[in-house]
Amino acid sequence: MSTLNWGERELAYDVSGFVSGKGHFVDDIKLPGMLHMTVLRSPYARARIVSLKGGMSSKDLKARMASVGEGASSEAGLSIEPVFATEFVNYVGEPVAAVFAEDRYKSADLLESIEVDYEPMKPVVTIDDALSMGPIHLGRKNNIMAETIKGADFKDPDSPIVIEDTLENERISANPIEPRGIVASFSEGMLNVWISTQAVHSIKEGLVESLRNSELLIHVMQTDTGGGFGSKGGLYPEYVIAAFASMKFGKPVKWIETRREHLSSTHPGRGMRGKVKLFAEKDGKITGLRGEVMIDAGAYDSGIASFSPGFVAMQMTGPYFIESAQVRGKALFTNKVPQGPYRGAGRPEASFLIERMVDMLADELKMDPADLRLMNMSEKPFTSPMGLKIDGARPFFESAVKELGYMTEVKNSKGVGLSFFVLVPAVYPGESARIIIRDGRVRVWLGGNSHGQGHEVFVKKLVNEELGVPERLVTLYRGDTGMTKTGVGSWGSRSAIVGGAAIVAVCRKIKEDVVKIHGRYSTESLLSGSYDEFINNELKMPLNSFGANLATVEIGKMGNVRIKKCVAFYDVGRALNPDMVIGQIQGGMAQGIGQTLHEGLFYNDEGQLITSSISDAGVPLAEDLPNFTVKIAENRSSLPHGAKGLGESPTIGVPTALIRAIEKASGKRLRRTPVTPEELIS
Amino acid sequence: MHPSSFEYFAPTKMEEALDLLSKYKGDAKIMAGGQSLIPLLKLRIASFPYVIDISGLNGMRGISEEGEYLEIGALATISDIEENEMVRERYTILHEAAVQIADPLIRNRGTIGGNLSHGDPSNDMPSVAIALKAKMEVIGKEGVRLIEGDSFITDSFTNSMNEGEILRRVLVPAARGSTGGCYIKQKKSAGDFSVAAVAVQLSLNENESIRSAGIGLTSVAPKPLRAIRAERFLEGKKISDSVVKEAAKIVVSESDPSTDFYGTSEFKKKVLERITEEAINVSFERALVG
Repeated sequence: MSTLNWGERELAYDVSGFVSGKGHFVDDIKLPGMLHMTVLRSPYARARIVSLKGGMSSKDLKARMASVGEGASSEAGLSIEPVFATEFVNYVGEPVAAVFAEDRYKSADLLESIEVDYEPMKPVVTIDDALSMGPIHLGRKNNIMAETIKGADFKDPDSPIVIEDTLENERISANPIEPRGIVASFSEGMLNVWISTQAVHSIKEGLVESLRNSELLIHVMQTDTGGGFGSKGGLYPEYVIAAFASMKFGKPVKWIETRREHLSSTHPGRGMRGKVKLFAEKDGKITGLRGEVMIDAGAYDSGIASFSPGFVAMQMTGPYFIESAQVRGKALFTNKVPQGPYRGAGRPEASFLIERMVDMLADELKMDPADLRLMNMSEKPFTSPMGLKIDGARPFFESAVKELGYMTEVKNSKGVGLSFFVLVPAVYPGESARIIIRDGRVRVWLGGNSHGQGHEVFVKKLVNEELGVPERLVTLYRGDTGMTKTGVGSWGSRSAIVGGAAIVAVCRKIKEDVVKIHGRYSTESLLSGSYDEFINNELKMPLNSFGANLATVEIGKMGNVRIKKCVAFYDVGRALNPDMVIGQIQGGMAQGIGQTLHEGLFYNDEGQLITSSISDAGVPLAEDLPNFTVKIAENRSSLPHGAKGLGESPTIGVPTALIRAIEKASGKRLRRTPVTPEELIS
Repeated sequence: MHPSSFEYFAPTKMEEALDLLSKYKGDAKIMAGGQSLIPLLKLRIASFPYVIDISGLNGMRGISEEGEYLEIGALATISDIEENEMVRERYTILHEAAVQIADPLIRNRGTIGGNLSHGDPSNDMPSVAIALKAKMEVIGKEGVRLIEGDSFITDSFTNSMNEGEILRRVLVPAARGSTGGCYIKQKKSAGDFSVAAVAVQLSLNENESIRSAGIGLTSVAPKPLRAIRAERFLEGKKISDSVVKEAAKIVVSESDPSTDFYGTSEFKKKVLERITEEAINVSFERALVG
């Protein structure tokens, strides 16, 4: 195992050219005759549409969304969102109608030409409302969207210590710098789509399914994508409307989301409440875990919303050796925008539940939290009762305590928090890649699409390693369904793992092609020839990895938190490019801090979004962030290129370490994110 | 994010601006730096058929001490105030408020006149004007008149100017003798509006008792507040821990914060009490040396 401290080296930055203004984003596309679309959205969380006049609406396009992309669910069925609201609206921001004009100003003016009469109804806003009030959807008995049980039932252990608590994560918006956007252009019988996305194939599949047109000739091209964090992994109503409108009018149609629309209508993440009961011996040995996870799933099933309860439940033993555990999960309908994946997508929620409980147990037993954690770990691989498979955890975390400088920090400061976690990357079902060699250059496409992470860096490196081609001759193109037959997407800490494995596999195929022709492989014979290979590289094995974080804080007299140290120690497998690894971790740490201290989507009793500006929704600012310390452990994975997951690790590990540090510094028991100054001084 | 259409005027003379204003009346809106108005137009929260941009009017950006007043042109930007040496040394409270408004980009365009007139209860300059006992010089077709700082904003987004009037200058009583002030703003994050903020300006007698006190409050009522009972309580007293604590309690009793996204009413009162104590202490120390 080797570690690397950043600070000793200069970091690469702006590999994609976005920062220096070289990006070409969807809003940069201007086509002749292009129409600008503006969407009329529901002003009510729940209402019946009494009448609707003007604009394009469900009278023109009566269609339902398709469940594609991250967490896609084949069981979404009746609870899937309509493209345009039909008889009822079920969240503030739900598309009701759309208008089109030659410029955005006129398009926005046209909104006033639409007349809608609503009959407002009492909305189901919170998880408690969902449990106590009648169903929001006709034909359902209650507000349960999905229900699951993980782990076998067990008899309560006869242990002297039992602690129980309820913990919550507020919903948070992804808030990438570039909001969503699409240009759809139907001409000569072909629908061309340019889009800001993490997954062109999800968009293609979703449009075909939602428009119920399996004969549709469709070509989806990714534009440079300025962030996504999960929110751009799937299909949205606006995409279907733009595609439909382009086909109807025979003109290109552009839709660019405003920030307000992003906050009201792009699927936010988190939104979880969990009840956990831990059983333990007096020496700290955890003997059982019972839990209940409830997801604030919003008005319709986005796929991930009904997948979340089981996914959170499955991970709830974390890196600990807990032999008796059972967790019930529910996804609940509320009159809010459908919940979606946000960096971590169930992983931070699970970790929040177990890590908060372990800290509380440490307090109950008056034990050091690090000691308590280590004593509940196994040296050997372990499969939890809920099906989480992990390697022997203890050796890694013993070294983590040292690498994070935990003992020194505890001696010097009151506000110290430590967290341990397992990262479960979305390996399944693998990824596709294509390489074309022509004119002495290597052109590469991946099925899952970089949205600001800089995938080109690992692609160039792996092509160089496999084929001996200098990196400057290698280009990774944006996602393009015309260039890859199939593909999955970029999310769930998977790209370096599955994208990387696909690159290695397709390179090896090409190598074989060269050998077939020339008898032996050489870079020269490769580059002087012409080759074209595509691979759909299936991967199914779990590639779980470990990580740990430490945070130290001080609390000001107004309850403001000053983060002094924020340290990470993650096993990233082989770091394909340490600079990029560090960059990913720093960005994720900022988001972890955001969740803990700043970010939340808040609704009032009427289901109106209160946090309708980016400053209210609370992205962390430069002054809120400390200097990060990032340490990496490189234990190669079983894949040929040795990569493990990484992208979501900081959003899992930082909130739990940070909230513990705040808890210690303030002396207040903390049960939810975001933590407010008010809680700390009340 | 795209406003409804409006007609835009950019007069270069005050007369022209007043003519336009009397012609279009309630359909017209004065724009100075545009830092509050443009977002409202963009989000279509407000729309006006006529926008009169007065940023090109001459002679309204100066900051100078003239006789008994510090005169600040209504078009002086927040950055102008922030960077003015004399303001920083002699009217510290103004400097402190300026540097805490939004971010540098907004401060470069936003004006003190706009900040005062807009009437957002979270705007900082109205409570500073109250603490400094400033007067607003407004001009209309009928002539010029002065409005006291504490009666300039009458309610949320409502000021006491008549239709057809424009704020031309802010007149701050010149700093004489032992005087000092301070602006403390508690906010969630940089650039945000405040949870609560307090402006305190104290003048001392020779025996270090308080000759006059000005206390203005931001974000704790539907409009900027003058904590007049606390001012009267302080006047004539010498500063001690118990006096400061009592004054802060009186300030809190005069406030009326609502429970909202920034916190509960109780939390805001707690914050207000703490920052008021600190603001009185700092102002007193500054007055001793000022």
